[in-house]
Amino acid sequence: MTARSLADATAAPAGGRAVTPSVWSRIWSANGAGYLFLLPWFIGFFGLTVGPIVTSLYLSFTNFDLLTDPKWIGAANYVRMFTADPKFAQSMRVTFMFVIFSVPLKLAFALAIALLLNRGMRGLPIYRAIFYLPSLLGASVAIAVLWRTLFAGDGVINDFLALFGIQGPSWISNPRYSLWTLILLAVWQFGSPMIIFLAGLRQIPQDMYEAASLEGASKWRVFWKITLPLLTPVVFFNAIIQTIEGFKSFTPAFIISGGTGNPINSTLFYTLYLYQEAFAFFRMGYASALAWVLLIVVALFTGFSFLTSRFWVHYDD
Amino acid sequence: MTFSIGRRQFLVGTSALMAASAFAGPAFAQDKRMRLAWWGGQARADRTDAVSKLYAEAHPGVTFDTWWNAFNDYWPKLGTEVAGGNAADVYQMDYRYLVEYAQRGAIAPLDDYIGKGLDLSDFDQDQQDGGKVDGKLYAISLGANSVAMMVNTKAFDDAGVERPTRDWTYEDYKSRAEAFNAKSNGMKLLADGSASEPAFENFLRQRGKALYTDGKLGWEADDLVDWFKLWADLRAAGACVGPEDQALDATAAIDTTMIILKKAATSFANSNQLIGFQAVITDPLDMINFPRAEAGSGGGHYRKPSQFWSVNPKSAMLADAVDYVSFFVNDLGAGAALGVERGIPCSKKVRDALAPTLDPQSQIALNFVSNLGDLLGSLPPVPPTAAGEVSTQLTTKSQEVAFGATTPEEAGPAFFQEATDILARAS
Repeated sequence: MTARSLADATAAPAGGRAVTPSVWSRIWSANGAGYLFLLPWFIGFFGLTVGPIVTSLYLSFTNFDLLTDPKWIGAANYVRMFTADPKFAQSMRVTFMFVIFSVPLKLAFALAIALLLNRGMRGLPIYRAIFYLPSLLGASVAIAVLWRTLFAGDGVINDFLALFGIQGPSWISNPRYSLWTLILLAVWQFGSPMIIFLAGLRQIPQDMYEAASLEGASKWRVFWKITLPLLTPVVFFNAIIQTIEGFKSFTPAFIISGGTGNPINSTLFYTLYLYQEAFAFFRMGYASALAWVLLIVVALFTGFSFLTSRFWVHYDD
Repeated sequence: MTFSIGRRQFLVGTSALMAASAFAGPAFAQDKRMRLAWWGGQARADRTDAVSKLYAEAHPGVTFDTWWNAFNDYWPKLGTEVAGGNAADVYQMDYRYLVEYAQRGAIAPLDDYIGKGLDLSDFDQDQQDGGKVDGKLYAISLGANSVAMMVNTKAFDDAGVERPTRDWTYEDYKSRAEAFNAKSNGMKLLADGSASEPAFENFLRQRGKALYTDGKLGWEADDLVDWFKLWADLRAAGACVGPEDQALDATAAIDTTMIILKKAATSFANSNQLIGFQAVITDPLDMINFPRAEAGSGGGHYRKPSQFWSVNPKSAMLADAVDYVSFFVNDLGAGAALGVERGIPCSKKVRDALAPTLDPQSQIALNFVSNLGDLLGSLPPVPPTAAGEVSTQLTTKSQEVAFGATTPEEAGPAFFQEATDILARAS
C-alpha cells in the first residue's frame, strides 16, 4: 500500500495532475542558477536587514540593556516618549528645524549652481568636480572637525569678521548659533542634488528655449515658465532624498558636540539622542522605539510629499 | 531611515560575527592575542604599551591588540563592544561605572584568583576595597589619586598674581580676578567648574553632604542652588571663563580643557593627570587642591582608585588576562614604566622602588596625594547605576544656567528632580 501510493505520487507529475511540484521544478530549472547567484544578497537582505528590523520592532516593546534578556513592557516606551520625555521633544524640535531649513536652502543653492554650470562654459568638468567635492567628503569626521575649527571663537570665520570690526561669538559652542552652523554645513554639501539638477537640465528640449527666445521672453520668464516646471520631477526627487538624509543626519552633530548634543541640547539631533539612549545609557528597547517613531515620521513626510506632488510636479509624458 | 536601523543592527550583527571569529582565532594562531582597552591620552598609551612589551618579553607568544580613547568617547564604544560580545580581554573601569558593569555581569569577579595568579599581598587595603561591589572584588585599582586643580604657574607669574595656596576659597579666586584679568590678555583664573561633577561633589563634601548615599542623592536642591549661584558670581566677576568657551570642552579630553586652550589659568582635573596635561602644554604646571567652599572647610577630597583594570568574563584567555593585571600592578619594571601617570601605585613594593626615580611632575603628584591633611575625607560608597547619566545631565543643566536660559533658583530644584527620575528609572 505504501509502496503503491509512493509510486502514484512519483508518477503523478508525469500525468500532469499535481501542479505544485512541477511549478517549483520549472522555476528552478529555468532560473536556478540565477537564484543561486542571488543567494548572497538574499542572505544579507534577510539576515542583516529584514531580520534586525523585525527584531527592533519587537525590542521597542521591551526593556533591554543588551546584557540581560529583554523584558516585555508593552507600549510603555512609546507612552514615555510622548508624555514624559523632554529630550525626545527637544531632539524632534532640533531635527525638524534642521530639515526645514537645510533642505530648501540646499536645493536652492544646488539649483542655482547647476544653472550657472549649465551654460556650457570652458572647464566645466573641473568646476563640477570642485563643487561636488564637499559632498564627496560628505558626512566625514574630517569635515566636521574642520567645521569645529572654522566656527570656534578664535576660528577663521571670526578672524575674517574681525577685518570688518565685528567680534563674532564662538558659533559652535553657543546654543543660539550652534544648530545654524550645522545647517550651513549641510547646505555647503550641495553636490549630489546639483549633479542631478544638471542632468535634469540637459533633459529639457532645446526647441522650447528656441521658441521662447523667438517670442522674446526674458530670462527670468524662461526660468519660471519653462525651466522650473520641466524640472519639477527632479526637484521632487531631490527633495525627498534630501529630506530623508536630513532626518538621518548624525555625524556632524556627533563630532561638533563631542557626542553630547550640547550646548544645552541645541544640537541634539534625533539620531544622536537615539545613539545616546542605545550606546551611552544602554536602553536598547527605548532606542528601538525611537527608531520606529523616526521611521514613521519619515514615512509620513514622504507620503505627504507624494500626495501633494500631483499638484506641482509636471511629467511631460 | 530603514537603512539607519539596518546600519545600527548591522553593527551589532557584525560585532557578533567578529565575536564568533574571535573564538576561532586562538585555535588557528600560535600566538595568544590579548586585547586591551582604556581611556586616556598619548602619555598613558606610551606607558601602557611599554608594560605590554615587558609582559610579552617575559611571556613569549603573547601579543597585544589595543585601543584607547578620551573618557567620554570611551564608554559608548566599550558598551557597544560588550554588547556585541567582542570586548577586549582587559579593560579599564571607572569608579562611576563599576556597579553598573558588575551588576550586568560585564566584568568578572576576581576573588577566586587572589593568590592564584592575582598577587595582592602588599596591595593597599583601601584601594582593594574600592574595587569591590557587594563584597566581591571586580576591579584592580591602578593607582590612588585625588581630584586636583592644574595650575599654569607662568600665567600667575606673568599677571603678577600670587599662585593659589591650599587655603584659597572660591571667594579668594574671585577677589583676585580683577588684578589677574588686567594683565592676562583674556585668560581667566578658573575654568567654569559648575558642570563638573567632581567639583560639585567636592563642594558637597565640604558641607558634610555627599553626592550619593545608599544609592540616592545625598544632597538637597538648595545645595545645588548655592553651587550654581557661586558660579554665577564667579562668572559675573570675570573669575571664570564664559559659557561659550567652556562649551568647547565637551568631552573632558585633556586637549580641550580650558587650561590647555589657554582660556583659563587653572582647570579641574585629577592628581594623576598632571603628566598628561604637562605633555601637551609648554607652560610649567603645578597642582593645588580644589578651592574651599569656606575658609578652613576641609574633607572634600578623598583617595580614589583613579581607574581599574577589569577582566572580561567572556574572555577566551581569562587566566592570562588576570596574570597580565597582576603583572601590571606588581612588577617593578612595569611600575617604573608606568610611573604615577595612572595614580600612586597601590603596591608598597612598587611605590618604594619608584619614589627615588620620579620626575618633578610625578613628585608633585605623589606629594599632593600623600599630604592632603585636613582636605582628606573618607572614600564615598560606589555610586549607583545611572550615575554617569546624572553627570551628563548636570553638564546640560549648568549650561542652561551659564547661558542664561534659566536661573540658579530654578535650576537647582529642576535638576534635583531630573536626577531623582534618572535614578528611579535605572533601578
